[in-house]
This record gives sequence, structure tokens and C-alpha cells, in this order.
Amino acid sequence: MISVQQLTKGFDDLRRGWVAALDHVSFEVRPGEIFGLLGPNGAGKTTCLRILSTVLRPSSGTATVSGFDVVTHPTEVRKRIGFMSNNTGIYDRMTAWEMAEYYGRLYGLPEDVLQLRLEQLFDTLQMNDFRDTLGAKMSTGMKQKASIARAIVHDPPVIIFDEPTCGLDVLVARKVLAIVQSLKDQGKCIIFSTHIMREVEKLCDRIAIIHRGTILAMGALPELQEQYRQPDTEELFFDLIERHDAQMRSTMPEFHLASL
Amino acid sequence: MNWQNVKLIFLREVRDQLRDRRTLFMIAVLPLLLYPAMGIGMLQMTLLFTEQPRTVVILGEKHLPPPQLLEGDKFVSNWFLNPADADKLKVITDTSVELGGGGLNASRNMRLIEQARALRERVEQHTSLNTELKQAEVKLREHLTNPAAPIDESLETLQGRIGQLKAKQAVIDHELMELFASSQIQVLIVIPDGLKENIERVNRLIVERDNSHVEGFTYPRPTIVKNRADDKSVVAYARVREVLDAWEDEILRQRLSAAELPEELTRPVGSAPLDLAAEEQISANVWSKMFPALLVIMAVTGAFYPAVDVAAGEKERGTMETLLICPATRTEIVLGKFFTVMGFSMSTALLNLLSIGTTGQYMLSVAGGAGKGALAQAGAVTLPTAPALAWLLILLVPLSAFFSAMCLALATFARSSKEGQYYLTPLLMVSIGLTVFCLSPAVEIYPVHQASWFYSVMPVVNIALLLKALLLNPGNTGALIFAGPVLATSIGYSLLALWWAIEQFSSEGVLFRDGERFEPTLWFKHLLRDKEPTPTFTEAGFCFVLIMLAQFVSMKAFGQSIASVSADQIGTQMLKLMVIQQLAIIACPALFMALILTTSFRQTLRLHLPDWKFLAVAAVLPFVLHPLSLELMASLSWFFPQLPEGAVRLLKTMGEGEQPFWLLLIAFAAAPAICEELAFRGFVLTGFCRNGRTRLAIALSALTFGVMHMIPQQVFNATLLGIVLGLIAIRSNSLLPGVLFHFLFNSLAILRERASVQLAAGHAEEFQHSIWSSFAILDAGGLRYTWLTLVISGVAASACLWWVWQAGRAKVKSETVEGLFPNGLVPVKQQHPTCVS
Repeated sequence: MISVQQLTKGFDDLRRGWVAALDHVSFEVRPGEIFGLLGPNGAGKTTCLRILSTVLRPSSGTATVSGFDVVTHPTEVRKRIGFMSNNTGIYDRMTAWEMAEYYGRLYGLPEDVLQLRLEQLFDTLQMNDFRDTLGAKMSTGMKQKASIARAIVHDPPVIIFDEPTCGLDVLVARKVLAIVQSLKDQGKCIIFSTHIMREVEKLCDRIAIIHRGTILAMGALPELQEQYRQPDTEELFFDLIERHDAQMRSTMPEFHLASL
Repeated sequence: MNWQNVKLIFLREVRDQLRDRRTLFMIAVLPLLLYPAMGIGMLQMTLLFTEQPRTVVILGEKHLPPPQLLEGDKFVSNWFLNPADADKLKVITDTSVELGGGGLNASRNMRLIEQARALRERVEQHTSLNTELKQAEVKLREHLTNPAAPIDESLETLQGRIGQLKAKQAVIDHELMELFASSQIQVLIVIPDGLKENIERVNRLIVERDNSHVEGFTYPRPTIVKNRADDKSVVAYARVREVLDAWEDEILRQRLSAAELPEELTRPVGSAPLDLAAEEQISANVWSKMFPALLVIMAVTGAFYPAVDVAAGEKERGTMETLLICPATRTEIVLGKFFTVMGFSMSTALLNLLSIGTTGQYMLSVAGGAGKGALAQAGAVTLPTAPALAWLLILLVPLSAFFSAMCLALATFARSSKEGQYYLTPLLMVSIGLTVFCLSPAVEIYPVHQASWFYSVMPVVNIALLLKALLLNPGNTGALIFAGPVLATSIGYSLLALWWAIEQFSSEGVLFRDGERFEPTLWFKHLLRDKEPTPTFTEAGFCFVLIMLAQFVSMKAFGQSIASVSADQIGTQMLKLMVIQQLAIIACPALFMALILTTSFRQTLRLHLPDWKFLAVAAVLPFVLHPLSLELMASLSWFFPQLPEGAVRLLKTMGEGEQPFWLLLIAFAAAPAICEELAFRGFVLTGFCRNGRTRLAIALSALTFGVMHMIPQQVFNATLLGIVLGLIAIRSNSLLPGVLFHFLFNSLAILRERASVQLAAGHAEEFQHSIWSSFAILDAGGLRYTWLTLVISGVAASACLWWVWQAGRAKVKSETVEGLFPNGLVPVKQQHPTCVS
């Protein structure tokens, strides 16, 4: 479903000069699977997901979604993904219904299919109480639901969640995770990026630990725990990151300075 | 292109804007409520506002001749054009005060009369000094013209006396001024003793036809004291003048009728004006001044806020990323937003104009109906005619389109609404500046004296000027012929601006600019530390700006330097300055920037040895392009404004034999060839090439090269040459062929000027019979090439250019990729086929 090969993306940074936000990253995600991208802030998670959603172009490497290259066939890719992140905003002057309807039309759904789909979505996501509420008046939970409804209105086979629970209270976060789980049960191919260990343990079939643009380890969580002999996910995570930074310091003396 | 998506986005944005209070305020509240409210307010003000009466003091009332001038403390109202104006002047006379008049104000009037008397004393001194001074000056003039004449005073004493008199007069004038300023008097009229008797005496002399007492016509006249620097005094004086003129006319009429002379006696010429302006033309004049300016300002204001909201606002609220992920392409998104902004720009402009127009007309008709003097004349102002309004609508479309696209592009660049407003303010300022320029009566779309189509291709200005002409007279054929070019160029500019907006919207750097705060020191360090082999796009742009700024700054210094040398050396001085300008202003910025900002001086400035074939082509091309360019410029001369004086002088220097040929070659050919190539085909072009789009880079470098030449003719010519030079530089990846081409091309221009002058000076006949005459002829403008030459040149130039076009394409491709991705990040798959045209 999703295939990422040697993906690299560089930025020009004032402080550090030319920085690779992603450095030869490769992974694959299959349908019916939740793939977790686990990494600290600034690890390159969002960059990677933005390339997958075609809003950024890779400096080199390839990424395909459902067999379509993100660079050569961006429109086909966009039709097949739903993207939801914590900061994908809600239009203040649009109601939840209008917004989902608007995106449904942009995705080219026929009007009758769209109306059916919307009714069904608003039922399953329990959004009927606030279907005519303007975005500006919604609570965080409502916004998150509206955002999910917007992302999956066209029933995409691939769904990308970029830190969807960031900044949410426990109740709302729990609901979001339940929705992700149910989407997986429908056979969707899901990428889920987060820096919260609990979510990974609960949700993900396989994970990739990403740090400074490179994947440090990848596999199912139990496999990784066994491979690195570390039953605690959090400890595993810290060990890997520490080891990587120590290695960088020894090979590149200026790295220490640059990382400040 | 999926127009369904464009429509969807457009409808959403419009609904979004209509739900926004700010937009509603701009397009609805402002025009529908504010202007009428302002109108009512102004009407109220004019009703409530009564002009404070001004004080006029008359000394010597008893010497006033008939007919009656005063009535109580006012002038007789008959003497005013508008009798109501009589209330606006309060007249205090010495006679009335002595009789104890003035009632409550008696003491104030008394004081005023005292001040007036003090003033009169100085006035009399001033007058007597003046008489004395005049006599002395007459004497001096006689003395100087006829030194032999006998005199009672030596020249020195006479001059000394004049000096003393002048000094005395200055002291008295100063006293007068201070006294007048401290008094409450706005105008003082001093009637001299015996005025009445003198006038009667002269009347009698005329009745008796007695010519023996002509000197009796000279008698003391009244003096009116006023202060032109004081507004109150100016207004009061204007009214007093009106009264006194009317009164004097009456005295004259009575004098003539008493002497049984015709009234026409005093008007031997008596010309009468015939005003052809019809009522609607007067209104058309009002509208043609007001509407173009308002239209421009309202179109840009109307585009401003929606643009900030749909572009920067969307980024700020975080909805931008969501929109980018949907299947609509960037072009569709931009078009949807563009039509929204344009719709609001047009409706804001129209509603505002409509509201201002109707409010203004209503107010004028109310004021006119009340019959208040000058306003009554304006009362007849009607709204513009239907054809004029149709033109207004037609021209609003490209105007709004241009502003909308510009605003959208700028607003896309901004990270937040606030930042967007900062970026758009300069656009607003420039538009207002252009409008003020268009308001000037001297600026017209069809200048009579200097046939020039130049204004018709200037953005915004062309629309405003055409509208100005068409509102004045919608059937104006002189202006209508400009409608085609104005519309075509305006649509062209709009499309360019729109293309820029789409570019902005497609750029990652613009869409995902991080909110990092700007630190100049950090940025500067970054610039020097993370140097790359070739300059960036921005650095290239900055180099051009630097060159332009340096040129601007140096203009004054160069002007002074030319003014400081004697006339016979101006030519040499100009040539010297040209070389200095080339070295210091054009070459230096490029060289220094290349040294400081890049790691590869050679690569940046293309200092490579080229393939010899390119050198060969560069040596041939100037000879075939020179006739073509000359003919093109000659056939387009009607289009451009006249050359400025300085440029004409420079051209003359080229032809005249005064300067040595080698100096001309250095100043006009060698220095530009080296310096301009280093800057424009070196630093600037290499930098512009960095975004991987060669055609755009060549076009931009050619345009900057053209703009650097400042004079419209040269801008046009240099831009075209810049395209050729850019292409040669890219294809050969060397500066040398360009330098050779540039040097030869400029040398040919000098040679032609020289040859023209020399042939015209005596060899014209000989030339016409030689074999050369089938290639060139000599006319008033110098050597002109024949069709034979032009056809040969055209064929040869096409062949050369085609060869350059296809040469070395594959080679260039591989080289630029390396330059594009520093730090070894060579892409596996190349996105843009770089540097391929």
C-alpha cells in the first residue's frame, strides 16, 4: 500500500546550514495494518508524512501510495489518502457538515453518494449534535471529530495520522484512538505518528523509531523488545536514541556543537 | 484543470468572506452607511456654519464721493454679486465712532480707530518715502544714461541717499506689519483728504472738455492695507475689492453720462468670453477627475483584505495544509481564491463609487437648490452617462484582476494576516502614488505635443488615464484607439501577476515558512558559513537591487561632476564617468558578492574557456543583429517618449569626431562588455538559474539588464539583447562569448554613428554611387540599412540563434544538477528537467 524507498529531504537552516530532515528512510506499510512512527519532536515524522501526502517534494528517493508515485502522480495519491493531524485546522466560519461536504465534493464524490456517506459518518462519529455548529464555536473534541470526518469522507484506503492526540485531554484522545482502531478493522492502511509510548503499545502492529531523520529500528514491538533485550518500551526508545547520539558525536566532532 | 474544483473553492471562499464581519464592513457598511453619513454631516456643518464677519476700518469716510458706499456698519449690499455677502464684512469708520456710534462695542471700535490711525501714520510715511525714493531713482537712471547732463548731486551721494531711504522704508514696513498683525483689523482703507472734491473737479473738467489741466488728474488716491499671508485678511480683501470695483464702475458710469460720453469709452477692446461647456460636460469633468482615482484606490482596498484572509489567514488558521492535501491542484486553488478576491475587489469599487457618486450628487443638488452662490453652479452635476459607465465597468475588470493577483501573491508569501497587511501596505501606497500622478491635468493618455504610447502600456496608469479620457467624453476617438493596447497589456499584466501568485502557491519555501524569528546576525553568519558554489536566487536579486541603488545614489554625484567642467570638456568627462560607473557600480557589486557569498568564483562568473564554436558565433551575431535592432528601434520610435537631454548628448559624443576613437571604444564598448557581462550574465544569471528553470532565468536576467538602462528605449533594446546574451552564456557556460558579442555590438553602434556623421559631412554623393548603397542608405537619422541587408541579417541571425539554442543542451543539463543540489544530495530522480528549454 505504502512504500518508501531511500527518502531524503533537506532544508536550508539558518543555524545549522544544510540539514537533512529525512536521511535515506525506507519502510513499507500493508493494508489492515497500523504502522507507528515513533520519534521525539523534530525527528522528521511530519516531514515524512508531508511527503507522503504530496505537499512536500522529496530531495531524493521515492515514495508510492497504492502504487502511485507521490512526485509523478500527486493527484492520484491525494485521492487515495486521508490526512489528519493535530494542526490541520477547521474553518472558523464553516459548520462541521459544510466542511465535510465541501471536501467530499473536492474529492469528486457524486452528490447522492456524498449525502449518504455524510449521514453515515456523522452517525458513527456521533457528530449529529453539532452538525450545524460553526468551527469557531466547537470544542477541541468536536474539532477533532470534524477533522477526522473531513479526512475520511472519501473513504480512502490509506489514512495518515500525524500526532492526532497531541494536546487532547484523556477522554477525547481515547475516542480518537478508538476511531483509529475501528478504521484498522475496516482494513485501512494506517500510518500513525506519535511520541507517546502508550499509544504505540496499544495500537501499532509495527513501529519505526525515527530520530534526526533516520530510522533507528523497525519491526513489531515484541520483536524489538526481544532484539534489544529491553522489555520496557520507553527504555528501549531512550536507549536507541542515546546510542545514536553517542555514535554521531564520536564520528563527527562538530556534531556536538551543531546539536546545541 | 478541473473547473468544478475552482467553482467549489470560489463558492466556499465567497461564503466564508460573507460570514466575516470585516469583509461585510468593507463592502457594505462603509459605502452604504459611511458616505451618506458623511454627506449628512457635511450638510449639517454647512448649515450650521456661519462665516464670522471680518473687520474693515475706513479712515476719512467724509471724503468718500457719491454714490453711497456705506450703510450703517456695512457696505451697501448692492455692490456685492451676492447681496448676502454684505453681512460678512463689518465696517467701522472714524466718522461713526466720533459720532458715538457702535453701541455696546463703542470702546472696541474706539480702540480699532486708534490702531487704524497709528497705521495710517506709518502708511503716510511709507507713501512719502516711496515718492522720494522714486524721484531719486529716476534721477539716478538719468544720471547713468546721460552722464554729461548737469546735476546737483554727485553719484555717490545719490546712491547713498537711495540706500538710506530704502533702509528707512524697511523699518517702517516692519513696524506696519507688526502693528497690523497685533490689531483686530483685517483690511484698512485710508481715504485721502479731498478725494470727493478731486473727483468732482475732474468730472467738471471732462464735462467742459478742458484739456489744459491734464496734471489735475493726478491727485492722492486711497490706500488699502492688507496682509497676503493672513487668510482672514485675504478673504476680507477679496470682498472689499469686489465692492470697491463695483462702486468705482458706478462712479465712472456717472462721470461718463454727465459728460455725455458713451459707456464703452473705457473698454476699447472689450473682449467677451464664450463658454462652450454644457452642463453635462461640467459634470463629466468632475467625474473624470474623481472616478479613476477612486476606482484604483477602492479596487486595491477591496482586494487587500480578502486576499490577506484567503491566503495568509488560511495559513495562520492551519487550514492551508488540509486544502493542499485535497485533490484540487495548486492552480485550481489559486484560481478559486483569485476569483473570490477579484469579486470583492470589483464589488467594493463599484459600491463605493455608486455610494460616493449618489451621495455627492444629492448633496450638491441640496446645496444648489438652496441657491448659495458658487455651489448653485455645481448643483447641476449629473451622474456619468451610460457609455461612460460601461467603460468604467469594462476597465474595472483588468484593474481588479491585476490587484487581486498581486495581493494574493503577496499575501501567500506572508505567514500570518498581520504579516500580510505589512506586505500589502506598500502596494496600497504605490497605487495611491500612481493615482495622484494620474490626477495631474498634464498627464493624459494621448499627449498632444509628444506622441507617445508609453502611458498606454504602464500598469494601472494606463487604465486610470483611459478612464479619465473616456469619462470626459465616451465617444472620444482619440482615446478609444488606446482601448485595445490598454486592455491587452492590462490583461497581460494580470496574467503575469496571477502566474506569480500560482508560483508562490506552489513553492514549498513559501507555504511552509517556519515561524523562526529573524536574527540578522545569525542570518549573516549563515550566509558566510554555508556558502555554496554559486549564488542563490535571492542573492542574485539582491545584486541587481544593489546595482540599481548605487546608480540612483551616484546620479547626483555624476551630474555635479559634469556640471563642474567647462563646456569643451564635457564629452571627455562623460566618457570617463561612464567607465567609472561601469567599474564601480556594475562590476564591483557582482565581483564582491561573488567573492564573499560563493565558494566558486569561477563557476559563479562563468570564467571558463568556451568551445571555439561559440566564440565564432558570438563574433558573427553582432554584425547580423545590429541592423535588425536598429531597424526595430527606428520603427518603434513613435512608441517611446523622447530621449532625455543627457542621453542625446551622449549619443552625439559617439558620432562627433572630437573624442579619440579608442576612448569611445573603451567607454561605450569595452567597459560595458566586461562589467555588464560580469554582473548580469555572471552573478545574476547564475543565481537566477538556481531554481532550475533556465528560460525563466534568462528572461529575468534580461529584464534586470534592461531595467538597469533606465531610459525606456534602451530598456527595451537591452532586454532583447539580454535574452540573446543569456542564451549564449547558458549554452556555452562561459562569459567570454558574451563579452565578445557585447563588445562588437556596441562598437558597431559607435562605428555607425561615426560613419553617418562623416559621410554626411562630404562623402554622401560618393557613397550613394558605391556598391555599399545597396546595403545602406544615408538619411536624416544617419545610416539606415536596406531591405537587402535586413533580409540577409534576419536569415543569418535566425541560423546563428537556432544553432546556439540547440547547442550543448545535454551538457548543460548535467552541470546544473550539480549546482542545484549542494552537499552531495544528488536526487535519484530529477524532478524538473533542469536547464532545458
